[in-house]
Amino acid sequence: MWLWFSKLGSPRWFYDLSGKWLPWLYGAMLVLGVTGLTWALLFVPQDYQQGETIRIMYVHVPVASISLACFPLMAVAGAITLVWKMKLADMVAKCVAPIGAWFTGLALATGGIWGEPIWGTWWAWDARLTSMLIQFFLFIGVIALRSAIESPDNAAKACAVLAIVGAINVPIIKYSVEWWNTLHQPASRFSMDPVAPNPPEVWVPLVIMICAVYVFFVITLILRTRNEILVRERRSQWVKDLVAKEPV
Amino acid sequence: MTDHTAHQNPQVSTWGAFRATLKRDLLVAFKRRNDLLNPIMFFLIVVTLFPLGVSPDPVELSRISAGVVWVSALLASMLSLDNLYRADYEDGSLEQLLLSPQPLYFLVLAKNIAHWLISGLPVVILSPLLAYMLYLPGEAYTTLVLTLLIGTPVLSLFGSIGVALTVGLGSRGLILAVIVLPLSTPVLIIGAKAVTDVMFGLPTGSHFALLGAILALALSVAPLASAAALKISVN
Repeated sequence: MWLWFSKLGSPRWFYDLSGKWLPWLYGAMLVLGVTGLTWALLFVPQDYQQGETIRIMYVHVPVASISLACFPLMAVAGAITLVWKMKLADMVAKCVAPIGAWFTGLALATGGIWGEPIWGTWWAWDARLTSMLIQFFLFIGVIALRSAIESPDNAAKACAVLAIVGAINVPIIKYSVEWWNTLHQPASRFSMDPVAPNPPEVWVPLVIMICAVYVFFVITLILRTRNEILVRERRSQWVKDLVAKEPV
Repeated sequence: MTDHTAHQNPQVSTWGAFRATLKRDLLVAFKRRNDLLNPIMFFLIVVTLFPLGVSPDPVELSRISAGVVWVSALLASMLSLDNLYRADYEDGSLEQLLLSPQPLYFLVLAKNIAHWLISGLPVVILSPLLAYMLYLPGEAYTTLVLTLLIGTPVLSLFGSIGVALTVGLGSRGLILAVIVLPLSTPVLIIGAKAVTDVMFGLPTGSHFALLGAILALALSVAPLASAAALKISVN
């Protein structure tokens, strides 16, 4: 157990292992993404109220779900950095911040594209939308803080503290649709009943799309982290060997 | 430790260190009148800008008055935050604070309370006057003052984390705003909402419960986070 734990903290070990994972992840993303998108775009029946616009859901919901996962991930990685001073945890924390900002921005953008035909507006000062916007600002704050502090060690710790403090916003976003009864609808319940408002033929492709986008997220995170490992470990022998082997 | 050795090496109790820090910060503030006056003047000027920029119409102003006072209080608190650790960092007394045997939590808390007494309390006291100038309806005055009384300490406490994280940086003004303002928005939303709800005759109990909960959370967590951040920045 402890051996495994200390190995996990070793950037080189992660670099080697993730290199083996990547082809599988690419394959999984391709299969899930093609299945999910084809099903969602071509075969899901039109919504009785929203017509064809319902198809945006298959992008919007997965993207928004990921963006909510990024901040807790950053906070947990930050806590690990502060407590165990694990180098890899900070690399992940650093790499997840811009991805989280992108996904939050995408969730806001796809939400706007969905909202325009349904609500008649691109933007509303609704609880869910506003708390997502604040999460976007928080990500920008973490990125700005990281780039402002010169010492990487101090930047890691400072960003960890900020990520942990900022994580209090996540439950606010999650429950915003239930605490405040504003424009954004609460989460729909999945049901196995074929005549329910959300029969399996509607939500199964959504689950596939969520998985596809999660795999995409994992791939981006791994690629970014691998890059970060190479940059930070550039003086170590194994990276020099690796670069020497690479055909230029 | 016996009384005898205690007498020879006088130990400062945590409570004593807390009081000494509070007293020192207040004393420093009163010696530098400008630092004391600037946040309040800033608060007054920002509030004044709204009637000039939006409209002097009483109906329109009374509708936005709660939000205007709250936003101005938030900005004034943020502007004065820089004094919290900056001067101490530059003259080295912050290091002494970090090296002291007392728990840092209480020392940071004392500094935050001092900051609130200097920048938050005057805003609370001045708010009825500004509310009058912005045509806030009479029944909302108590709520405005009470929400500010509970909310402005939270602004000091959360803001302290941001300052502690950025104290060692050269260009900290803008980054401080980017870090602190998003963290402060829940207080702003709830505080301003409570005041507008009173204007519409709605109950405000839940807003006060939430504000109280945030203050309790901030009091217990924020000084710890500030202390951790200070150790990182001064390192």
